[in-house]
Amino acid sequence: MNLSTYKTASGFLLPSIHSAPPFFTQQPNTATQAGFTEQWTRLLLAYARHRRLFTLRLEDAEVPGGEWDEVLRNPRINRRLMPNHLAHVLDVMVSKDLAVYEPAKQMRAVLLYWRSPDEWADVLHEWATNTGQLNTILTFYEISDPPVPSALSGIPESLLRGAIAVLAKSGRAQLISISDGDGVRFFPPRTK
Amino acid sequence: MTLQKYTRSVDGTIPVVALLYNDEESYASQDTVGIYDGIQKSIDHQNGTIYVTSHRLFYIDVLKPHSRSFVLDLSAIVRTEYYAGLFTSSSKVTIYLSSETPAAVSGDEAAESWQCEVCDFRNPPGSSPTGAKCALCGVPRSKVLSAAPTPPRAVSAPPPSAHLFSSSPPEASGSRPKEVACPACTFLNHPALTECEICGTALPRSAPPIKSAPPSRPGSPTSEGAGGDAMIRLSFRKGGDKVLYAVLKRSLLGRAWQTKSIGERTASSSAERIGIDGLVRGVETSTRTAQLDMNDALKDLDALMVKAREMVRLAGDLNERLTAVTKSSASSSGNAEPDTATFIRSSLAQLGLQMTDVPVTLDMARDEKRWYEQLARELAGVLQGTGGKNGLGMMATTRGIISLDEVWGGWNRARGVALLTPSQFLQVLPHLPAYTDPIITERTFRASGLRVLHTPTYTPAAFAARLHGMLLISGARTTLDIAQEEAVPTGLAAEMIEEAEAQGVICRDEAERGEVRWWLNVFQGYVWDGQDT
Repeated sequence: MNLSTYKTASGFLLPSIHSAPPFFTQQPNTATQAGFTEQWTRLLLAYARHRRLFTLRLEDAEVPGGEWDEVLRNPRINRRLMPNHLAHVLDVMVSKDLAVYEPAKQMRAVLLYWRSPDEWADVLHEWATNTGQLNTILTFYEISDPPVPSALSGIPESLLRGAIAVLAKSGRAQLISISDGDGVRFFPPRTK
Repeated sequence: MTLQKYTRSVDGTIPVVALLYNDEESYASQDTVGIYDGIQKSIDHQNGTIYVTSHRLFYIDVLKPHSRSFVLDLSAIVRTEYYAGLFTSSSKVTIYLSSETPAAVSGDEAAESWQCEVCDFRNPPGSSPTGAKCALCGVPRSKVLSAAPTPPRAVSAPPPSAHLFSSSPPEASGSRPKEVACPACTFLNHPALTECEICGTALPRSAPPIKSAPPSRPGSPTSEGAGGDAMIRLSFRKGGDKVLYAVLKRSLLGRAWQTKSIGERTASSSAERIGIDGLVRGVETSTRTAQLDMNDALKDLDALMVKAREMVRLAGDLNERLTAVTKSSASSSGNAEPDTATFIRSSLAQLGLQMTDVPVTLDMARDEKRWYEQLARELAGVLQGTGGKNGLGMMATTRGIISLDEVWGGWNRARGVALLTPSQFLQVLPHLPAYTDPIITERTFRASGLRVLHTPTYTPAAFAARLHGMLLISGARTTLDIAQEEAVPTGLAAEMIEEAEAQGVICRDEAERGEVRWWLNVFQGYVWDGQDT
């Protein structure tokens, strides 16, 4: 069996396992399936990181033409990841804290944690420090859609809140409510 | 006077239950009842209890039960009336009695034993006069119309067939009328008929018609009052009339004192076999006897089961004694159990008789084991052939794998008469590898529970190795391809492939709405070679 990697149009390198048809079938043998699920998890998170995609829904597997097509489908071998299989993979990811069902109490869409909330907190604070915006009140909109694209561009609000919560716990940020939304103020870290 | 004629005195100190016939049943009772003999009150019977049974009506007096109680047959009742009572007058039930006095007044027939006409068996007393059946042959007792029961019965003992050819005039008791042959169809009719029962032609009247009342009957009763029927009234001083009246009517409707056989309708003896009546009666009697036979057979079966229980107990007993004997003999001579003891024990075990406190001795087990080993040798011969004349045996035709039911069926067919049960067959199987070459072992597929016997070619490991080789060469294969390659049936191939998948040797690839293809599972130690994160 000759399996090869493949570089997608967006510049993402797909692993060789992606060109193996069995990879797309849900295996009855639990050991085999566990191995496949692990590879899928890694692949999805890597792709999300590459394309800065935060959410993954079952519709992306059901309906073609979304953001995830490069990964969820492989036209060269004529296979695609079936929604049931994807649901199983998402389930495993959520149980490992690599994703979270967002909005809550449903099983069709997840928010991917290709960076954990702690990591996001550090990135956020670093950005605030580097852009010299400490001690000023920033709105969420300013953070997620700054004029200069940053590591935080496009971050969903829930993720941002999570990161701010982490920072608040360590005293590096403070959530403030202002007129048409919420704002946040960053403080310099309490070193020494 | 009506009371005197129609009722019979009875000892009221005996409980009513003891006074009933064998086939009689008590339905209801009511106390504080008074009796009117005709229109006037009967002085002796003013306070008592009435019992309604299926055959009779009892009156048990309260003050003098021994002398003032009586019993009345329900067969004598023609009509009943009900009067609901008004102010001081209590509710009454009027009973009109038929002008024919019942013949049973002449004696208490239920209290004596009677001899059956058909089989001459002397029946014990206790049944109602008309409801009795002979305990031996089941023929109902003939209704005795004459005052002297025994002599006429002896005369009428000759079998019915003798009647068909006799032309003697009817006997004085009137219990055996001569049949009349129809001139058109020669059917033998009852002499009282004017037309043939079958074809309708008029019958010649050769003998005078039978009197409805036998000559020995007592004289006709005197009528009371305005020439109406004799009557008796029951006056319910303390209520309960409605219920009792309903029960009385039900009992009258039931007519339990009339026997079930159709013969009673014509008021002639039931031992005859004439006319269509007779034919029907004959059929009924035969079904009745069949029923009785069935009951007897079931009783025999019950007795047999009791005996079987005793047999089991005997077996246990025997076993204990054997144990005791062998223990004593072992202590003295140090020998093993004698063969007879072993034989008895093992045969008891084989019969299925459970002995709870006996250890399964090594001897029993040893015998069984030897037997199974020999069976295994026989089976090996059947499967692989004994060479020479018998040829290749069963395994050869199926290329080395065969299901258990086929083996069992084929082996039993070969054995002919001495068949083996499935459980015995299963016990033989572990011994099989010792006698087969190449070794034949048993295997159970987990998915479907299919059990097979197979040669080493089809062990899971061998099959997996072959699959591995095949898939290495040709990439993905479907189940059909693999089945063809292995030359086994597709279902069996599917089973074996599933076992291989469960072991992790292969993995499946299912295209959307496509066929399943099988790939070698090379992904176990996969190393990520995609985007570096």
